[in-house]
Amino acid sequence: MSFQSIARLIIAALLLTACAGSPSPTPAVSPATPTEQTMEQVRLGMGFIPNVQFAPFYVALEKGYFRDAGIDLVIDYDLDEVGNVALVGNGDRQFTVASAEQIMLARSQGLPVVYVLNWWRNYPVAVAALAEANIHTPADLAGKTIGLPGLFGASYIGLIALLESGGLAESDVKLDAIGYNQVDALVTGREDAVVVYTNNEPVQLKLRGYDVTVLPVADYAQLASNGLVTNQETIDQNPDLVSRMVQATLRGISDTLANPDEAFEISKKYVEGLDANADVQREILQATLSFWDAEEGELGASDPQAWENMQQILLDMELLSEPVDLDKAFTNAFIEP
Amino acid sequence: MDLSTWIKKERKLEVETPHLHRPAQYLLLSTRRQNFLWTVLSMFLAILLWDLFVRLTNVPPFILPSPRLVLERFLQVLQDGSLLRHSLVTLQEVLAGLALGLTTASALGYLLAKSRWAERLLAPYIVASQSIPTVAIAPLLVIWFGPGLFSKVLTSALIVFFPVLVNSIVGLRSVPADLRDLMRSLHATRWQMFTLLEIPASLPVVLGGLRVGATLSVIGAVVGEFVGADQGLGFMINRARGQYDTALVFVAVLTLVAMALALYGIVVLLESRLLSWRNGAEKTTQTV
Repeated sequence: MSFQSIARLIIAALLLTACAGSPSPTPAVSPATPTEQTMEQVRLGMGFIPNVQFAPFYVALEKGYFRDAGIDLVIDYDLDEVGNVALVGNGDRQFTVASAEQIMLARSQGLPVVYVLNWWRNYPVAVAALAEANIHTPADLAGKTIGLPGLFGASYIGLIALLESGGLAESDVKLDAIGYNQVDALVTGREDAVVVYTNNEPVQLKLRGYDVTVLPVADYAQLASNGLVTNQETIDQNPDLVSRMVQATLRGISDTLANPDEAFEISKKYVEGLDANADVQREILQATLSFWDAEEGELGASDPQAWENMQQILLDMELLSEPVDLDKAFTNAFIEP
Repeated sequence: MDLSTWIKKERKLEVETPHLHRPAQYLLLSTRRQNFLWTVLSMFLAILLWDLFVRLTNVPPFILPSPRLVLERFLQVLQDGSLLRHSLVTLQEVLAGLALGLTTASALGYLLAKSRWAERLLAPYIVASQSIPTVAIAPLLVIWFGPGLFSKVLTSALIVFFPVLVNSIVGLRSVPADLRDLMRSLHATRWQMFTLLEIPASLPVVLGGLRVGATLSVIGAVVGEFVGADQGLGFMINRARGQYDTALVFVAVLTLVAMALALYGIVVLLESRLLSWRNGAEKTTQTV
């Protein structure tokens, strides 16, 4: 064979291989998944940066629970909790995750926001102190200096609830607004105790070798906490969407509870740097699971008593001047499939 | 007192003007008075447009409150004393921050103006310090210096530092060389050179930097308060946001604006007093 004919043969062989390797044309409509037309784009506001504590949403996204429900979910991390609730209240965003007290405060100012799924079963705020401070009950906080991010928000409200349970008022302690520097403030001895999230800072402190005592608000008061929030307009005009959103989220939550290791691996795709701090973050996820765990048939259902208790705290703190209509603030109507 | 008598008193005119029409009387007002009236008119129009916008678009009060709602809220917090209390805290931080920023910047500015070596050594750090966003450094200041007024005084001082420093250096370097030579020829001491030549000659530029610094100092104090505070107008904004009380946010913001404008006005007044020698040998009576 001449060189030219061998070359032609090789080129022909290469071309054939290229043709055989190319993917077959995709069908115009895939029968298993909904078409472009039936997918509704939903923007979900998360009031924080991507974090392992949002694992159920990452699981539901990864496993296609939202897609199966005809929802093209986009998570926005651009605003804080207050900003997100304001956007939902104004109809600029359909869903967000927010704590129950935000809903009551917002509704008292005329925002038509409604809490449709209870995610965190207990209030996540706690007071932490170094073991040598000998603080074992809320009453032991009398006369102490307590550091917290600011005199507003979940940390402040949770602290007041804890103090009240120990028969104390704000005037019985000294509060320092220290921003998000609780761990540093505690270990340097600047504060006797700090207000933290039960599943976060104490884990970090223990892993750093500090012996801490933790007083979780959840041990002393039953308060309504974080959940999925939408607005009245969406409930009235598109209740089916709300139902599908709630159901997909519930699937994500129960899968995370059933298989946290898998949930953690999935979260690595959505949370930058999770791998680098894997041991701490896995511990944080583990500590968080107890906040999401519910009795059979109760997953996602709001507890009216927890809402009443939270409202009373807000009234005591004069953050609410009068009670809001709790029947309109939350609903369990979308929990059943 | 009627307008014509007032004008006569102002301008020491000998001619009676009651027969002049109002627009003509207006023209006889000093420029300062005319500007004041224009400002009042402009503010009135702005409030009118704001109210019109709210009424026409029916925007919810937690997104954009009406002027009436903001006024109501203002009167409430004025009455219960909380506005005054928080404003005084912020004002304290601002004034202390201005004082700290001004003294350190002008002292360092003198050193750098006099010594090229000092300038070459320190310039990179000074420029870098200005490039660090205040919002990023404010939490660190709370860690290092604790909660309480000092960390807010520091953020305020930091934000004032650079404009005053740069203007001090430029001002001192712009002292005319021939005047220096004259002072030297008259055997002026270093102290006399400083107090009788350098300070008056550099004052216009330094005060220009202070004008900028005065308004920035308010921003600095508020940024410090945002990060960690339990008092002050910045704290009030945070708390109001958390309660979806946008009208109160507006009240706090407008109070901060008024504070910044007042400080700016004081610097302008200071300029006119300290730099009156620039306007001619004869001192004119100051009518404010």
